[in-house]
Amino acid sequence: MSGLAPVLIPLIILSVVLAIFFFLRPNVTAGVTGKILAFVAFFMLPVMCVVAGMTEHMQRAEQTQFCISCHSMEPYGRSLYVDDPGHVPAQHFQNHRVPADEACYACHADYTIYGPLKDKLRGVTRIYMQYISTPPKEITIPGGYNNNQCLHCHNGARSFESNPVHQAIMDSLKSNQMSCITSGCHDTIHDVNSLDHLKFWRPGQ
Amino acid sequence: MKLSEIGMQRLLRISSALIVLGLLLEIISLLWFHPLAFALFAFVATGLIALGVVVYLASLVFAVAPPAGK
Repeated sequence: MSGLAPVLIPLIILSVVLAIFFFLRPNVTAGVTGKILAFVAFFMLPVMCVVAGMTEHMQRAEQTQFCISCHSMEPYGRSLYVDDPGHVPAQHFQNHRVPADEACYACHADYTIYGPLKDKLRGVTRIYMQYISTPPKEITIPGGYNNNQCLHCHNGARSFESNPVHQAIMDSLKSNQMSCITSGCHDTIHDVNSLDHLKFWRPGQ
Repeated sequence: MKLSEIGMQRLLRISSALIVLGLLLEIISLLWFHPLAFALFAFVATGLIALGVVVYLASLVFAVAPPAGK
């Protein structure tokens, strides 16, 4: 749990205690003090609990462990440990080019104003597919991988800007006309079908 | 049956039951680290709490308050 939990759990417990009190003694609301207390117990505290709970869940949903706790995502989590610098996600994860505890979110987040909300809604549809509908055999990103997710960090970076190959196609990359992960460039992503034949890095080795 | 006939006390009891249930589910969702915990919180717990708040607000608007002496 994040830093919000030490506040959130006591807040929920306080709300539960107050709600139980009013369940047992609803006639307390006859007085002015009781009415004010009831407003706190039935409106203010529950709303605060929902808002704080949503914030906690939103932060938690950005963690790598959260993403790979889904059965379908397990191989993608394993692919982060492939011992080969040619594998782009593994290279980023192992060298901390992205925060290791938010590795999935760092490269798959929609970096727009409503992006985090869109990401969560997309995540809910995946929960639906996993538990109610049928998960697809091959997991794909709707609309393909957007270069903006790479450029969020790499744009303006010296090593990226000064690379002659990048310079030659910079406009196509920035307008997303040519994908960064196009064949011949950074095309080894989560190679989950070949995981059984690959060597893995173990942290601490 | 009109809402005012149900009485404020009964509506408050319904509201508190819904809120307690929603909050208990919220605690479970916070202790359970799984994508389903998010769905449990977002759809079930939040729904119950919201319904409890709406019932409370409805009790303020529609129900008849009990006499102060009772």
